[in-house]
This record gives sequence, structure tokens and C-alpha cells, in this order.
Amino acid sequence: MNQTIVYPEQRRLGRYVARSLLMWLFFLPLALIVVVPVLYMISMAFTLEANQMKFPIEWIPNPPTLSNFQKIFVDPQLPIVRWFINSLVVATVGTAIIVFLSSLSGYAFARLEFPGKGFLFSLLIFSLMIPSAVTLIPAFLLLRDLKLLNTYHAIWWPAAASVTGIFLMRQHFFSIPGELEDAARVDGASRFRIYWQICLPLVRGAMVALFIFAFLGLWNDLFWPLIVLSERAALTLPVGLLVIQQGSYIQRGLAFAGAFIASMPVLIFYAIFQRKIIAGIVTAGLAGR
Amino acid sequence: MATSTLSPSRTAATQNQYWKRLRKQLPNYLFILPHFFFFSVFLLYPIFRGLQISLYDWKIMLKDQAFIGLANYQALLQDKIFWQTLSNTAYFTVLTVIMNVLLALFVATGLKHPFIGSNFLRVLFYAPGILSVSVLGIIGIRVWDTQIGILNYFITTMLGGPRIAWLGNPDMVIPALAVTTVWWTFGFAMLVFIAGMHNIPEPLYEAAKIDGAGPLQTFRHITLPLLMPTMLFVVVTQFIAHMQVFAQPYIITGGGPGNASRSATMYLYETAWKFFRFGYASSISVVLALIMIVVTVILFTLMRRRTEY
Repeated sequence: MNQTIVYPEQRRLGRYVARSLLMWLFFLPLALIVVVPVLYMISMAFTLEANQMKFPIEWIPNPPTLSNFQKIFVDPQLPIVRWFINSLVVATVGTAIIVFLSSLSGYAFARLEFPGKGFLFSLLIFSLMIPSAVTLIPAFLLLRDLKLLNTYHAIWWPAAASVTGIFLMRQHFFSIPGELEDAARVDGASRFRIYWQICLPLVRGAMVALFIFAFLGLWNDLFWPLIVLSERAALTLPVGLLVIQQGSYIQRGLAFAGAFIASMPVLIFYAIFQRKIIAGIVTAGLAGR
Repeated sequence: MATSTLSPSRTAATQNQYWKRLRKQLPNYLFILPHFFFFSVFLLYPIFRGLQISLYDWKIMLKDQAFIGLANYQALLQDKIFWQTLSNTAYFTVLTVIMNVLLALFVATGLKHPFIGSNFLRVLFYAPGILSVSVLGIIGIRVWDTQIGILNYFITTMLGGPRIAWLGNPDMVIPALAVTTVWWTFGFAMLVFIAGMHNIPEPLYEAAKIDGAGPLQTFRHITLPLLMPTMLFVVVTQFIAHMQVFAQPYIITGGGPGNASRSATMYLYETAWKFFRFGYASSISVVLALIMIVVTVILFTLMRRRTEY
């Protein structure tokens, strides 16, 4: 019985701190591996073209420069502002379409009855099994015949066909108690009003999740835009980045400046809404299960 | 219905009811109609159209396409480049999926219980996943560069080792692309595993503790078996995603050296959009799809059997 009385809470706290230290010891190398390449990209975006090839690597730009950004913004062959706007329009409108159509269909498959419902739903599940490689060429030829290549439509409407959002919305519409709809029906509300005013607000969380998931997918996608967009002015940022890298634009600094412009909005967005985004990614990502 | 003999008036009544119900249900189709329209145009129709195009010597500028039966498929069987790209892709996929699952399991086990900064690490480890694959490519080129690459920087300055030609070596190029892809995607698998682990009832762990099980035993006999459904989901989705790998070799290596890192999807892309042989490219896509469907089904049955206890 002397001065070294250790209270249980204190001991627990001590163990918590010790465990934290141990974990950081484990994970610090991995954290560095994740962070260093991104920091490198940011650093190189502000490094003079002449210093890009320096070895050992100059981690902190000396002197820091905006010349890479100036060169991109000035070059008429690299309309990066236009690409940025294209990406924004493609992603926001495309996402809105996906969320709206998925919620409509998901609602019908969860709460409404109609002949052939089971068959139609199994058709959606079947389509999940088909890799996009098969649909690429016919979808491309169709859009070409419709003269929709190099337009926003070439991205919006194939995106509208995606099915994962329907599974997510359906799951969440299932959880709404039927009494709510019954009450609204007794009051004489139309089907669409019940969906729009009663049920939709109750699955807001799932809609946010789908919005995040779909937006990131459309903003970052390279393969489909590369196929259907070829005119300089029509490109989205990920395709534009390839143009910066190719041909006469073999300027390393420009590629990093472009990568910086393409990633900063999502990285900042991610840093601010990380909790919501991670929850959304898990919710929406698991919907296909 | 309690009565087995239906009077004519009764059948008429039920029929009447049936029509009435149908008429009431008919407007419900309006809800699925918008999506179903685009689904039919851009997913269902292309599946069958793709099968059809693969039977033609389809060239984009021609008006009348020549029907050639299974000739594309016969040529495909003889096509050495196709088989090489296919085996490249399979190798890349197996490497990536295994590394992703192992790393994600390891990290998820560590981050499952909160500690100081555990949430920060979770956010950090997912962060590469929100970058575009184009950005991944631009970074990847410089990570693996022989002369000025980040990796060779650490090897030469910190370990005193020689510069390694990661992407110039046919044996090393696919593992390098796989590691790049793991860097980009393991965060998602990690998030899914953490969610799956939180669904495992805590009393099981307490019981194991009372029975004197160590952490490794607990992981092997409780976490791993109960995580099997999550594992199935992760493995299948990753398999489907990585079998279609395109941008990493396209941007970082251009398929080289030689064809050492050319992926099947890259070959498909080049056949169609560089050489405009759409019929042949379609047959590539059909074979690719068949392989993926078969493997997915096998994965499902294998792992389903292991989940049933």
C-alpha cells in the first residue's frame, strides 16, 4: 500500500496507448508506401521541366514553379479547362440519371407487383455475369450509327443501363414499413407520389451512397470514354491525361500538373467527407452481393 | 380456394378479377420502363449483337459484312498473341487478387478494433482508390522507372543496391503492374473485410477466449470461416475487375517489353480500335467472357461449399 496505486481505468488507458504504438509500428511503412507516390506526384507538378529528371530525386521542388500549369493552360492543343468541365458534366448528370433510374426500378422491384417481375429481376442478375468486354463493340457501333460519338450522350446513356444501383435501392426500399404506403394510399396519393414523397426521403442514405459511388466511377473512368470520345474538345480528364503524355507532349511536368488537376478535387472532397464516402463506398460496393 | 368444382360464372369472376388486377398493376411497369429501355439498348441487345458480329469478317467501313461462320474463332485458337495476352491476364489477375486479399485481411485485422489514429489509417489506405487509373498510370511510370524511379531511388540511396529494370524485364513486368494495382485497390477489400468482421458476433470471440484460444487460432477457426461470404464477394468482384485490366499496361508499359505485359482487353482494344477488325475483336470478347463466366461459377461453387457449416 504505497504511492503506486494503478487504477483499472489507467491501466486500460496504458494498454490502449501501448497497443496504438504497436499498431503504428506495424502500419507506418504501409502508410508511407501509400502516401509517398501521391506526394511525389504533387511535388513533380510544381517542379521545373529541367529538374524532372534529377537523380537522386528532388523531393521538394527547388525552385517551386507554376510553369507546368501555365504551359497546360496556354496550349490550345490541351484544352484542360474544357476537359474539366466535360468531366464535371458527364459525372454529375450521369450520376443523377443513374440515381433516379435506379431508385425508380429499385422501388418497383421492392414494393410493387406486376406480371413477370421475377423474370425481369433475374434478367438483371444475369447481366451482372456478363463482362463489359462483350458489350463494348456493339454499344460503340450503335452510338456511332446514332451519331452520338464525341457527345455527352455516349457516356450518359450506357451508364443509365447499369444495374448495381438497382440492387442497392431495392434492398433499402424493402426495409420501409408497408403501413406508411397504405396510409398514403387511403389518403388517395398516387403511386408516383407515394414513391416520391413518402419512400424516397426514407432511403436518402442509400441514395447518397449510390451518388458517391457512381460519381467517382464516372469521374475516374478511362476505358469507355477512350472508346467513344476522340475529338480533343470532347475528352474527359482521364482521357486528356493520356493525350498530355503522348506524342509531342512528352513533357513530364505537364503530365503531373494534369494529374494534379484531375485528382485534387476528389482528394479534397474525400478529405472533407471521408466518413460519408467510406460508408457510401461500403454500402454501394456491397450491393452487388 | 376451398371448392374444387368451379362453376362457369365463378371462372368468369376470377378471370374478371385477374384482368382488374392486371389493369391495376399495369402502370407499375412505368417505374421500371426508363431503366429497362437503356438496359435493353446498351446491355441486352449488345450481348446478342456481339455474338452475331463475331461470326462476321466485320470491318467498320464496309456496308455489307461478310459472314464467315466460326472462322474468327478458328483463327483465335491459332493466334499465339491472343494466348499470350490471356495467360498474361490470368497471371496478373491471380497475383493481384491473392496479394489484395492477403494484404487487406492483414490490415483489416489490425484496424478492426479502434486505436489512436486507426480511423485515419483506414481513410488513408482507401485514398489511392479514389484516383483515376490515368493518374495511377502517370505515377506508376515514375515509380518503376529504371533511371529516375522512386523505387530505384530508395534501393540505390538507402540500400546501396543496383538500379533494377523493373519494366524492362519480361519476368518482372507483370508482378510490377500487379503491385501497382494492389496499391490502388487493396483499400476497398480492406473496407469490405472490416465491415464483414464487424458482423461476426462478439460472443464467439469471448467463448474462444474462455476456451484458451490464441489470436492465431481465433483467426483461423472463427474469423476466417465466418468471413467466407465476404471473401467470396471480394474474390469474385476482384476477379471480374482485374481480368479486364486495360489501363495499367496500356499507360505504364504499352504492353511491353514485346508482348510480355499486354493484357487480353488491351489486345481486344487494339484489334478493334487500332486495326478496325471488329469481327475478330468480338470473338476475342466472347471467349474472354466465356472464360470469366466459367471461372466465376467455379469460384462460387468452390467457396459456397466451404461456407456451409
